[in-house]
Amino acid sequence: MTWPPALDQDRSAAIVALFDELADGVYTLAVRLLRDRHLAEDVVQETFLAAFRNLESYEGEGPIAAWIYRIGYHKSIAAHRRRRDEPRDPALMMRSTARVVASAEQEVVRSELIATLDRAIDGLTQPLRVVFVLRDIEGLSTYETATALAVSPSAVKMRLLRARKELRESLKEYL
Amino acid sequence: MSITCDQLDSMLPDLFSGDLHPEDEETAAEHLATCDHCRITVSDLEQVGDLGRRHGRLELPAQAKVRIRTLLED
Repeated sequence: MTWPPALDQDRSAAIVALFDELADGVYTLAVRLLRDRHLAEDVVQETFLAAFRNLESYEGEGPIAAWIYRIGYHKSIAAHRRRRDEPRDPALMMRSTARVVASAEQEVVRSELIATLDRAIDGLTQPLRVVFVLRDIEGLSTYETATALAVSPSAVKMRLLRARKELRESLKEYL
Repeated sequence: MSITCDQLDSMLPDLFSGDLHPEDEETAAEHLATCDHCRITVSDLEQVGDLGRRHGRLELPAQAKVRIRTLLED
């Protein structure tokens, strides 16, 4: 298949293949940034629809995974801004302040370690959190992370170190 | 060449990205072989990364996966 795929059918197949590979990763990024699973699902959908519409704009300037994560990152930031600007209705506040672990049932089956890790990641500032998610959780390289976030590779390296140092303090009993 | 703990600390961003020059790698290894404090720090920070890798990922719920996939296929 040539890139970008010319036929609608090929475009659809290309995006579906990317979705199968990266949907969980984009979802992880969005949940970690928004702390809201429902909004994160919307972000995943918006991300891959935008990728489908804008396939032509990807010119092989970096790994395609980094391009998808960049869209997911911007969609998450946009969702965060929209939420901030919305009137605070109680139902929304309930949802937006929900912890990463949404239901009590899930909480029970998750270990204390995982709950602590979730809280610790939540406690990071956004620039550190997003680098930790892309580098350590999603396994992107320094270069891919820098491309996705439009920052320098050295900024990625510094932020990853700071993120790990902060998390170390919260996770001491598990190390 | 021996280095201080602060110098080792300044090498950590490159160390964790696998971008340390071979000579610096050797220097860092020498320091870590003799400094418990730095060895524990590096080990802890590596473990934090491992915890993220093993437990940090979340899965898009199956229902949402099917819904979005169908949307992309249409």
